[in-house]
Amino acid sequence: MLGPDVAWYLAVAGFLFGTGALGVLLRRNPLIVLLSLEIMLNGGNLALIGYSRHLGRGGGQIFALSVMAVAASEVVVGLGLVVALNRRRVPLDVDRLNSLRG
Amino acid sequence: MPTLLICLPLGAALVIWALPLNRVSAGSLAVLAALAEVGVWIQMLARFHFSRGGLQFPGHRNWFRDLHVSYHVGVYAFSVWLVGLTVVVMAACIAYAFWAGRDRTRAYFGLMLFLDAAIVGVFVAQDLLLFYAFFEAMLIPLYVLVGVWGGPGRIAATLKFVIYTMAGSLLMLAAVIVYGLQKGTFDLTTIGTSGSNWLFLGFAAAFAIKAPLFPLHGWLPDAYRESPPEVAAVLSGIVSKAATYGFLRIAIVKFPGPTHVLRTPILVLAAIGLVYGSLLAFRAPDLRGVVAYSSLAQMGLITFGVFAVNDLGLNGAVLQMVNHGLISATLFLLAGMVERRTTTGELTRIGGLARGRPALATMLMTTGIIALAVPLSSAFAGEFLILAGVFRRGWGWAAVGAVAIVLAAMYMLRLISAVLHRETGPSVTDAALDLRPAELGVTVPLVACLLALSAWPAAISGHSFAHHISTRSGWTSYGPMKSP
Amino acid sequence: MIPGAWICLLSPLAGALAITLAGTRLSRRGAAYLSTLSCFVAFGGALASFAGSLGEKPHERHHLSTAWTWIQGGSYKSGLEVLVDPLSVMMMLIVSGVGALIVAYSIGYMDSDDEERRYFAYMSLFVFSMLLLVQGGNLILLLAGWGMVGLSSYLLIGFWHERPSAVAAAKKAFVMNAVGDATMALAFFLTIQKTGTLSFGALNALHGHSGWVVNLVALGLLGGAVAKSAQLPLQTWLPDAMEGPTPVSALIHAATMVTAGVYLIVRTHAAFELAPKVQDLAAGLGAATLLLAGLIALVQVDIKRVIAYSTMSQIGYMFLGAGLGAYANSMFHLMTHAFFKALLFMAAGIVIHALAGEQDMRRMGGMRALMPRTYWAFLVGALALVGVPPFAGFFSKDSILAAAMGHGWYGYILWIAGLVGAFLTGVYTFRMLFMVFWGEPSAFAREHFHTLKRDVPGLALEIPVVVLAVLSVIGGWLQFAPTWHPVATWLDTVAAPLVSPTNWQEAVSSVLAVVLGLAGIGLAWLLYAAPRRRPIPRTAFWQRTLEHKFYFDELYDTLFYVPSSFVARALGFVVERPLILGGSTELGTETREVGGLFARLQTGLLRTYALAIASSLAVLAIVFVAVKCRPF
Repeated sequence: MLGPDVAWYLAVAGFLFGTGALGVLLRRNPLIVLLSLEIMLNGGNLALIGYSRHLGRGGGQIFALSVMAVAASEVVVGLGLVVALNRRRVPLDVDRLNSLRG
Repeated sequence: MPTLLICLPLGAALVIWALPLNRVSAGSLAVLAALAEVGVWIQMLARFHFSRGGLQFPGHRNWFRDLHVSYHVGVYAFSVWLVGLTVVVMAACIAYAFWAGRDRTRAYFGLMLFLDAAIVGVFVAQDLLLFYAFFEAMLIPLYVLVGVWGGPGRIAATLKFVIYTMAGSLLMLAAVIVYGLQKGTFDLTTIGTSGSNWLFLGFAAAFAIKAPLFPLHGWLPDAYRESPPEVAAVLSGIVSKAATYGFLRIAIVKFPGPTHVLRTPILVLAAIGLVYGSLLAFRAPDLRGVVAYSSLAQMGLITFGVFAVNDLGLNGAVLQMVNHGLISATLFLLAGMVERRTTTGELTRIGGLARGRPALATMLMTTGIIALAVPLSSAFAGEFLILAGVFRRGWGWAAVGAVAIVLAAMYMLRLISAVLHRETGPSVTDAALDLRPAELGVTVPLVACLLALSAWPAAISGHSFAHHISTRSGWTSYGPMKSP
Repeated sequence: MIPGAWICLLSPLAGALAITLAGTRLSRRGAAYLSTLSCFVAFGGALASFAGSLGEKPHERHHLSTAWTWIQGGSYKSGLEVLVDPLSVMMMLIVSGVGALIVAYSIGYMDSDDEERRYFAYMSLFVFSMLLLVQGGNLILLLAGWGMVGLSSYLLIGFWHERPSAVAAAKKAFVMNAVGDATMALAFFLTIQKTGTLSFGALNALHGHSGWVVNLVALGLLGGAVAKSAQLPLQTWLPDAMEGPTPVSALIHAATMVTAGVYLIVRTHAAFELAPKVQDLAAGLGAATLLLAGLIALVQVDIKRVIAYSTMSQIGYMFLGAGLGAYANSMFHLMTHAFFKALLFMAAGIVIHALAGEQDMRRMGGMRALMPRTYWAFLVGALALVGVPPFAGFFSKDSILAAAMGHGWYGYILWIAGLVGAFLTGVYTFRMLFMVFWGEPSAFAREHFHTLKRDVPGLALEIPVVVLAVLSVIGGWLQFAPTWHPVATWLDTVAAPLVSPTNWQEAVSSVLAVVLGLAGIGLAWLLYAAPRRRPIPRTAFWQRTLEHKFYFDELYDTLFYVPSSFVARALGFVVERPLILGGSTELGTETREVGGLFARLQTGLLRTYALAIASSLAVLAIVFVAVKCRPF
C-alpha cells in the first residue's frame, strides 16, 4: 500500500473530530457551531475512508458518501434557521437561546 | 347469574350513552335497569342454597391462559348479601338522582350504572386480577361523578380521593402480581395461602385506604362533603364495603399467618378509628360531617369484627356491613334532602325542622335511632356480635367498643336535635316543605329493609357462613377454602 | 296463657304502629283512644296469663315461648322468646295496669296539645318496650327492652322539643342510660365467653367460675340497673326528666322505667348471689341514694321535682331490699310504690293543669279549698308514701327495713339509713302537701285557677286518680309480713329470699319507721302549717349544697363532658387537620419539587444537550466494545 499508515489518518481524523467538538461546545455563534459540526463530520469521514483503504473494503467509502449527503442537508436546515434568527433580530448567541428550558 | 348482574347495568349504561335520549327517558331507563337488577338479585337469593358451603352460580372463561388468569365469578353466602346491598342502595340513589334532576343526564346515569356494574363485579369476582380490575373500575365513574357534579370544592376533593386510593391500589397490584406468579394461578378459589407479611400488607394497604381505616382517612371528609348526596351515599354505603369484603375474602383467608401476626396493630388502628371518628362526629359542624365521621367509626367497628376471626365477629361484621350500608345511604340521602331545602348543611343554621314536617321528622328520627344502635335494632345485633367476638381476643377491645356505644348515642342525638328540635334555624324558611312522595319512595324502602332486619337479624348473621368457623385455626371449614 | 303473654306484649306495639301509619287520618282524640285501648288489651292479656299461672302448681310456672331465632353468630344464638313465670306476670300486671291508667289519664291531660298523636304513639311504644323488658325470655331481649325503654323515655321527655331544656334533658337521660347499656353489654360478653349462651340459666352456669368473672358480670349488671333506676352515681338525669309532660313522669318515673333496675336485680339474682360483695354494694348504693334524695327533696320548690326525688329515694329502698336478698319484699314495694307514686304525680298534674301549667310550689297555696277531691287523693298518696298504716306503703317498706337487721353490722348501718330516710320522707312529703294545699289560697292561685269540666277529658283526669287512690289504700293489704304473705309465696319459685326477718325484727322496724314518719310529718307541720310557724332552720352551706344536688351535675360536667369536648376539638386541630390537609398537599408539593429538580436538566442551552448526547454515546460505545470483544 502506498502512502502513510492508517494510524496517521486516524490521528488527523481524531484531531479534526476533537477540534470540531471543542468548537461545538465552546463557541457562541451558531454559525461557528455549525461549521465546527461540519469539521466533526469530516473527521469522521476521514476515519471511515482511511479504514476502508486499510481493510480493502469499499463499505467505508460508500458510508462516507452518505454522511456527506446528510451533512449537506443538515447544513441547509441549520443555515436556514440561523438566517431566520438573524432576520428576527435575535442575538446570535447560543448561550442566550434558552427559551426551551425546563 | 353473576355475569348477568354485571352485564345488565353495563348494557343499560351503553344504551344510555349511545342513544340520544332526553332527560326523562334516560332517567327512567336507568331506574328501570336498577330495579331489574334488584329483581335478578332476588331471584338469585331465592335459588341460593344456604345450607351448602362453597361457591354457587359459578361462571368461568379463560382470559390469559398461560398466566392462569380467568374470568371467574360466583357467589358465597356472604357475598349474596353484599351484592344485595349494592343493588338496593344503587336503585335508591339512581331513583333519587332521577327525581332531583342532574344536568348532562345521559352521562350521569350511564356513569352510575357503570359504577353499579363495577361494584357488583368486585363482590362476585373470584380471580385476583379480575378483582383488581373491578376494584379500579369503581374509581373511574366516581372520579367523574364527584369531579363534575360535586360541590364547590370538588376538584381538590376528587384529586385527593383518587390519588390516595390509587396509591393503595398500586400496592395491591404489586402484591397481586407477585402472589399470583408465585402460586402459579390467579384464581381465588384454588390459590393456596401465603405466609408473606409484605404481600398481606400490600393488600391491606389498599383496603385500609378504601375503607377507610385511621389514619388513612384523609380523603374522607372532603369527598363525602363535596359529592352529590346520592354519590356520597354510594361511596359510604357500598364502596367502603368493597374494602372490608376484600379484607374478608382475600386478606384473612389467604394470609392466615400474617393475619395472626399483624392482628393487634390492625385492631389498634380500628379501635382508634372507632373512638376518634365518634369524637369528631360529636364536634362536626355540619350534617355531612357528622355522617362522614360516623362512617369512619363504623368502618373501624366492622374491621374489629373481621379481624376478630371467629364466628361471632365475622357474622357480626357481615351483618353490620349491610346495616351500615343501608343506614349511611339513607342518612346521606336525607342530608341531601335537608340541604336542598335549606341550602346549607351547617347545624347552627338549621333547626326546628320537625315542626310541620312529620314525614321528615319520622324518617330522620327512625334512621338516626337505628344508626345509634338502639337495642332491638339490627345495628345493635351487628354491634353486639362484633363486640362479643372481639371480646374473645381481649376484653380491652370490647371496652373500647362500649365507650363507642355511648359516644354514638351522643353524636347521633346531637344530630337529631340540631336538625329537628329547638328553635327554627336562620336558614329554615316556610318554603322548606315536608318530604315529597318521591323522596319518601326512595328512603322508605331502605328504612323498611332496616326494620325488617331489626326483626330478624339472623337472616344475615345466621346465613353468611355455611359452616361453623373453628376459632383456633380460623379457617378449616370456611367456605372459600373449599374448591368450587 | 302463652297467647295472653304475646297479646300483652304486642298490643301496645300494634297501637303505636297504627297511630304512626294512620298519621293525620286519625283524629287526635282517636289516637288517644286507640293507645288507651291497646294498653287495656295488654292488661287483659296480662290477666289471662296470671289466671293461667294461678291454675298451675308453683314449680310448673315457667314457660318459654319462642317466635323465631333473632340473632345468630356461629354457635351462639338467641331467639325472640317470651317468658311467663311469676315474676314476669307480676311485672306485666303492674306495667300494663298502671300504664293503662296513666295513658287514660293522658286523654285528659294532653287534650289541648297539637301533637297528641305523636305523644300517644310514643306512650304505646314505651309500654311495649317496658313489657319487652319484663317479658323477655333471655338476657339479650332484656337488653333490647332496656334500650328501647331508654329510647322511648328520650322521645317522651323531649316531647316538647321547642324547649331547649327539654331536649337537653332528654339527651342527658339517654346518654346516662347508654352508659348503663354499655356496662350491661360488657357483662353479657363475658357471660357469652364463659358459658356460650345468654339464656337466664347462663347466670346459674357461672357457678364455679373464678371470683373476678362473677364479680365483673354482677358489676356490669349493677351498672345498668343503677343507670336505669337513677341511683347513685348515675342519678342526675331523673330530676331533669321532669321537663316532660306530667303523665310521662308518672309512667316513666314512678311506675315503670325506674323500677326496671330493681326487676333486673331480682331476675338476675343468681349472678348477684354468686358475687355477694356486689350485692352488698347494691344495697349500699340504695341506702346512700335514699338519704341523698331525701335531703335534696327538702329544698326543692318545683312540685314535680319533689316527687321525682322521692321516687329516687323509694327506689333506693327497693335496691336496699334486693341487695339484702329480700326479693319479694322489694317487688312488693315496687308494686305499692307504683300505685301511690303514680297517684301523686297525677294529682300534682291536676293541680298543675288547673293552675295553667304552674309548677312552682311557692306560688301555690290553699288549694285544699279550691280542689277538695284532689286534696284527698293527694293526701292518700302522701300517707301511703310515708308509710302510715293502714295505707299501702306501711306494709311494703317496713319489711325491707326488717330484712336489714339480719345482715350483721353492715345491715345495721343500712337499717339506720332506712329509718332516717323514713323520717326525711315524712318531712319533705308533707312539706309539699302543706305548701300546696294548706293555708290561704295564694294570689296567683286565685287569679289563674279554673275548675275541671265534666267532659271526657275531665273524667279522664279524675277516674284513674280515684282508682289509684283506692289501690293505694288497699294495695298494701296484699301482704302483712308476719302472718299473710301471698306475694312472697308467689315469687318464691323465681327468687327465693336470702333472709327472713323474725317477727320481733319486723315489729321493731315497723314501730320505729311509723314513729319516725309521724315525727317527720310533725316537723313539717311545725315549719309549714302550724298557726305559729317556727322559722325554717337554714345554713348557707347546706342550702347551697342541697340546691345544687350535691354538685353531681357540676362534677360530671367537669369529669366527662368538658374533657370529651376538649379532646374532640383538640383532635380536630392536632390530628385531623394535618391528616386531611397536610398529607395530601405535601405530597403534591414534594412531587412538584422533585419534578423541578429534574427540570433543571433542561437548561435550554444547545451545548448542554450536545454534551449529553456525546458523552452518552461515548459511554455506550465503550461498553458495547468491551462487552463484544472481552479484552479483559
